[in-house]
Amino acid sequence: MPHMWWVVAASVVVGLVAAYLIWTAGRVERLQGRAELAARALDAHLLRRAAAAAVLAERRFGVELYAAARIALDAHPDEREAAENDLTRQLRSVRLDPADPDCGAVIAASRRLALSRQVHTDLVRDARSARSRPLVRLLRMGRGREWPRYFDIDDPTLTVPTDVPAS
Amino acid sequence: MRIGIVCPYSFDVPGGVQNHVMDLAEALITLGHEVSVLAPADEDSPLPEYVVSAGRAVPLPYNGSVARIAFGPVSTARVRRWITNGDFDVLHVHEPLTLSLSLLAVLSARGPVVATFHTAMTRSRVLAAAQGVLQIVLERITARIAVSALARKVQVEHMDGGAVEIPNGVAVAKFADAEPLPGWPGECAPGAGGAVGFLGRFTEARKGFPVLRDAFVALADSRPGLRLLVAGPGDPDDLYDQFPVELHERVTFLGLVTEPDKARMLRSVHLYVAPNTGGESFGMILTEALAAGTTVVASDLDAFRRVLDGGRAGRLFPTGDAVGLRDALTELLDDPAGRATLSACGDQVVANFDWPVVARRVMEVYAAAIEATDGRVIDQEWVGLS
Repeated sequence: MPHMWWVVAASVVVGLVAAYLIWTAGRVERLQGRAELAARALDAHLLRRAAAAAVLAERRFGVELYAAARIALDAHPDEREAAENDLTRQLRSVRLDPADPDCGAVIAASRRLALSRQVHTDLVRDARSARSRPLVRLLRMGRGREWPRYFDIDDPTLTVPTDVPAS
Repeated sequence: MRIGIVCPYSFDVPGGVQNHVMDLAEALITLGHEVSVLAPADEDSPLPEYVVSAGRAVPLPYNGSVARIAFGPVSTARVRRWITNGDFDVLHVHEPLTLSLSLLAVLSARGPVVATFHTAMTRSRVLAAAQGVLQIVLERITARIAVSALARKVQVEHMDGGAVEIPNGVAVAKFADAEPLPGWPGECAPGAGGAVGFLGRFTEARKGFPVLRDAFVALADSRPGLRLLVAGPGDPDDLYDQFPVELHERVTFLGLVTEPDKARMLRSVHLYVAPNTGGESFGMILTEALAAGTTVVASDLDAFRRVLDGGRAGRLFPTGDAVGLRDALTELLDDPAGRATLSACGDQVVANFDWPVVARRVMEVYAAAIEATDGRVIDQEWVGLS
């Protein structure tokens, strides 16, 4: 019965296509979710650094650093990248003493922020490349989720990390 | 923290990646973490207790050399069982783009995955042929580490992604406490004596051994008692043929040395010479010599200058210049105080490469990877639907 074989072949093809689509949808969903988590972690580290800088500014270095830290903390999402870059510049313009606990906190927070930024950039790139595939766009997979956005700031690392204090 | 580390190469043969994995695992255990290392190994070979064997490795001609790796359905089953039993907070794979346990682990695991890239060769021909597969592997990795600036450059330019640069560590204590070989380094007085060391493949042009030979031969006449200690793979005849017969008794050849003997060798000389003419990406051996407390004389290569802090932690001489090297050797052998000053600065430099320090930086990458994923490392059927 040649007729029968057509049915079998067609169902195999349909099955494979369905499996591929489900797999792709899962992949887009996973990459998207990971980029969102990375964005949340990045946000936390930005806040942590600005807070540490504000604490330091209250004791040393004074009003300019304090203002930069406050502006970074309160910045509107559209202005946040510029505000964070300003804070990095301010921190670079002062002499930080790694032995001082407040300075050490800022240096450590900057280092963690640099790692978090690196991870975020990579994960956003993966998510965007998955979502811009033609099939994914055609079937509008991942809709209802925001298009993952880069957070474009300068490398916030302050000094070449020499020793990492045990924490 | 529970950490699972995957080493692609067998512990039965020594190698840079294997040493790195063992030293990292030990440093992490010292910091109070639970570490399990999965690696291919023969059933009866003695392994540290934190290593889990994934079965025998098969020698396979691969990318121009022979790699001993484990791959296939049996290895896959073992990897998945190890991941399930391990209940890890983070999975750390080394060289994930080789056909190996590391690749299997990346494909089998969900959750925070950190990958370390060691060599500049990061793309196997097999994977290069399938860009889509490469992308699927890279997507599973949460954070990437490169051990050298060169390895990082490859990441950025060819793999379309960044990587955190964390250098290889040095087990400083192992080098600092090593016992010198009997009878070495011997006397070193102004104008006489002294021991000079070289480690590496002396037949390979870019290691620059002829530069050291010329400097040594020129200096040996005027400096009685000066000795040369050479270690590395090669045929003794090829080495001794390069020297005049009367100098043969002043040249000692150790052949290929084990890690402990390497430390002893570095402790056995007054000056360690790195006459390389190029091609070094990092200069691991320099940090090891510094850790042993030996004064370093090295060619003025970018990588070496960076390790030696621009010449504060060791003497630099113009690359390939035997006369310059001879002068540097003469001056330093006659000047114990100068050697001590360089060594003291070397101690500070090498403290940055000490394994506990490097391991803490790796821990920060683990933390960043964990933040960007929810949950622990779980086993996942990778051939099926995700």
